[in-house]
Amino acid sequence: MQDLIAAQTINLIYAVTLLAVLSLGLAVIFGLLGVLNLAHGEFIMLGAYCAVVVRQNGWPFLTAIPLAILVCGSIGYVIEVLIMRRLYRRTFDTLVATWGLSLLLRKSAEAVFGLTYRSVETPLPGTIDVFGVPYPAYRLAVIGLGATAIFVLAIWYGNSRTGLRIRAMTGNPELAQSLGLSVKRLAAGTFVTGTCLAALSGVMIAPLVPVFPYMGLDYVLRTFFVIVVGGLGSVIGLVYGALAIGGLDSAVSAFSNGTYGYLSVIVLAIAFLWLRPRGIHVRG
Amino acid sequence: MSNARLAFVDLTGGYGGAIVVRGISGNVRAGEVLCVLGRNGVGKSTLVKLLMGHLRCWSGEILHTGTAIQHLECSARSRYGISYCPQERTVFDDLSVRNNLTLMGDNRDLGRFEAYFARFPILKRRLKQQAGSLSGGEKKILSFSRALSEGKGVTLLDEPSEGVQWENILHMAALINDSKRAGASMVIVEQNLEFAETIADRYLVLDQGRVVLEGTRRDLNREDLLSHLHV
Repeated sequence: MQDLIAAQTINLIYAVTLLAVLSLGLAVIFGLLGVLNLAHGEFIMLGAYCAVVVRQNGWPFLTAIPLAILVCGSIGYVIEVLIMRRLYRRTFDTLVATWGLSLLLRKSAEAVFGLTYRSVETPLPGTIDVFGVPYPAYRLAVIGLGATAIFVLAIWYGNSRTGLRIRAMTGNPELAQSLGLSVKRLAAGTFVTGTCLAALSGVMIAPLVPVFPYMGLDYVLRTFFVIVVGGLGSVIGLVYGALAIGGLDSAVSAFSNGTYGYLSVIVLAIAFLWLRPRGIHVRG
Repeated sequence: MSNARLAFVDLTGGYGGAIVVRGISGNVRAGEVLCVLGRNGVGKSTLVKLLMGHLRCWSGEILHTGTAIQHLECSARSRYGISYCPQERTVFDDLSVRNNLTLMGDNRDLGRFEAYFARFPILKRRLKQQAGSLSGGEKKILSFSRALSEGKGVTLLDEPSEGVQWENILHMAALINDSKRAGASMVIVEQNLEFAETIADRYLVLDQGRVVLEGTRRDLNREDLLSHLHV
């Protein structure tokens, strides 16, 4: 019984951390630029394919990280300059544009890689005992790296000069511009950061899930739920959202099955959209 | 006009399709304060927004030491050497007072603000507080100190004294006169004639988007100015 509780606890921590990391890119772009990036899942998918490509060529797993940053960072930059830059503050248009982008990326991946499921061999095989329960080493690494990444991002955003300037830009864009901040450059940097974070989370999950062109659809929904429930504009909100969504999903799935888990998540998200649209943690 | 730090020639502009500024010209030299006076809604703030680049000029020219800058965007004009204090939304509410002051500086050293802290000790006491929690007048003081301390060639202040206590308005006047002696040029929009009289070298009085009176402080008499300030 104790083993079961320990195993379920680690599973819960794992699910929450993973979800929070998957949501980071979406939260950055939505929270700071006001754009709900419907292609978020496709950037995760592209990141995962970077891991596939790297492994197929026999390169070390970690080389997928620079590859994913290069690929998704460039796509993100081009999209920002050509499309997004003209659409900020036009919420509906950004939805249509990013939805179109998601179709394009999905179909392109299908054209290049085909519809088959790929798997990526885990870079950390074996298990490690946690409280007497053997647990996959790679999943533990995901927990550690994910929590560190979120922590570092939160500290950076709260304290760094760039973090402050981003906050200045989102809070009072007119004043930020008259102080000499190039809102264009900051916005482009923010968008690219968001797509790169999505891609990196894609690399991270590649060894854990089947990789295929349509995998992003599920992620964009789940991560959107995290943001809806957690609230925008702070890392704390993101963690709360991931706790609520990931926790509920794992808990319900553990006692019944995955379908009910997913159903409960959707009900929670609808309840939040309806009754508390600004989420658990409201900034300011 | 050849030795003007900032000159604007026949500027027009407004919001959407509505024209507000209808052909205004003026200039300010180094070490000089140009006060823009007029009733509410005559185009004072619009003029300053055109100068800063928050609004696009429909026609006319803006010259910074002789170079046309009207096509530049706001952040580029700032780098050219223009500081700006808006009339509304004067500070970054989410940031602390300290970060409001040091956001664009090369470092977070507060040494360069000592002259401002000496005049406005409240700023020093509230360094860690979020700027959004300050009163309207305190925000004006923060915004004013931030802009003047940037030490740029041209400073545009849009009603800096609004909501500020008289005692602190006098401190503002003293700091403006210090900067002036150091060679700064300023365009200051004001409604408060007593304050304007302590700082202005020249006046530009607007009505319905046009210049109706201009001249040095000595040239213009108080009654004429007042007749354009009150309904």
